[in-house]
Amino acid sequence: MKPSITKLNAQEEELRGSIRPLKRHCLRIKKFILFTIAAVALWACKPERLVAPGEPVKALSGSWQIIKATRNGTDLTNRFDFSKFRIHFTDSSYTIDSLVPFIVAGNGKWAFDDPTYPFQLSFVAADSGKKSAPLLYPVSAGQRNVIMTFSPGCGLNSYQYTLQKAN
Amino acid sequence: MKAKHKFSGWGWKAVGALLLLIIAGCSMTIDNVTQPGSVNGGDILPVTLNVTISINGGQTSNFMVAVLVPKVWNAQKNATITFTSDITSGDQGMTLIPAGSPAPQGGGLDWPTLLAQKIGNGGNLLPDYEWVAFYSNSAYTVADNSTVHATVSIKIKTSPDNLLFKLGYCVANSTDGLSSPDRYGTAFPNSCFQVNGTGDLIDFCNPQLSVVDPRTSMDNDIITLTFDGGVAPTPLDNATSVYLCISGITDAGDSLSVCEQTDRTKMRSLGLNKWQKDIWPRKLFGLPANKHLTGLRYWLTDAAGGGKVGYGGGSAPFTYTFKCQ
Repeated sequence: MKPSITKLNAQEEELRGSIRPLKRHCLRIKKFILFTIAAVALWACKPERLVAPGEPVKALSGSWQIIKATRNGTDLTNRFDFSKFRIHFTDSSYTIDSLVPFIVAGNGKWAFDDPTYPFQLSFVAADSGKKSAPLLYPVSAGQRNVIMTFSPGCGLNSYQYTLQKAN
Repeated sequence: MKAKHKFSGWGWKAVGALLLLIIAGCSMTIDNVTQPGSVNGGDILPVTLNVTISINGGQTSNFMVAVLVPKVWNAQKNATITFTSDITSGDQGMTLIPAGSPAPQGGGLDWPTLLAQKIGNGGNLLPDYEWVAFYSNSAYTVADNSTVHATVSIKIKTSPDNLLFKLGYCVANSTDGLSSPDRYGTAFPNSCFQVNGTGDLIDFCNPQLSVVDPRTSMDNDIITLTFDGGVAPTPLDNATSVYLCISGITDAGDSLSVCEQTDRTKMRSLGLNKWQKDIWPRKLFGLPANKHLTGLRYWLTDAAGGGKVGYGGGSAPFTYTFKCQ
């Protein structure tokens, strides 16, 4: 007598039959997600165009006062009255109030040798030729300074004025 | 392991000390200086230095010679220096060391600044002096434990100015610089060198009742007038305030006078009967753009305008000539 086979897992097979389509569906979703991630990743790898940060053009516009003055290295700041001197720069012109010994004695035009990296500041007063002064442009204690070196009288004497924006 | 490290440390120290002995092997002295007592303005000043260099450890360096001179000579352009020695053949050239070039072991200072700080001003009483330094055009290798004799020839074209000055000399090398006193030699002849020139006497040697700084200037410079009442007794010995009484001589020969006892002529006290005033001549005399000053004449007074003190404490004015050369 052939032994009978009792289907003990009949319910399981039925269940299996109902789960298979769901599993295939999950697989498709997984593929879709993987594809999406891959696509996003590829898109993310697109080369980025880097733009080097530009050096700002140095601006002088405004009124400047003398905060330090030396003659041949000797500090004259508190020995001579520089307090009322003002030089007012606009885009290309300047005017001077309360003149002290300076590179020019009259109002006129000014220019940097290079507006981005200035090393020389030149003045052309209305009644004289062009005069240039070596220039430093440091920031000190959060304030932009302009340091000029020149000879207002005898060329053997060197003056250095540190200018700062006047309030 | 610890002992090995200790041994390594000592080993390094020994190597360091050995290196120090090798590097610290050069001393220099200026044995004598030959210079005239005076020259005429504009003439060449010839100076000869005899130098001895003792070397305990081999070294390859440039030879350095520096001279202390009045700025008005413009020695950077008007001086030439050469030398001969036991280890070279013929005159050896030297070249000006540009201002701003850092001196060896000088903490970033250039030679003129380092010389002024370490060697000083030779006793000159006016600030218008400078050290001018030259390097040999070649570097020289000197053997261990040897002594080299060098003869340095200095020629400086003087300016036409009438002056008294205390000259000074320094020799060193491009490796040791002025790192310690035994690495360099100095000489300051006792006598005051004189140039028989023209114009006001610029006296660096003797205390002056009044001096003007800078010595070379034009009327658009800021100039500093100093009165030292401690040099000699004057009527201003007990003054509580001192004022300028000053005249400007224009290029047209006019005399413009500012002789008042106000803030614009008041001198500030430096203590010990010393007084000082910074003036901008063009502003003080209200000069128009087309006028210039050729000189100044001035006296010092008390607050009442009395006790007038001039040159040598007398009634003649102190004088100052504007020039730029």
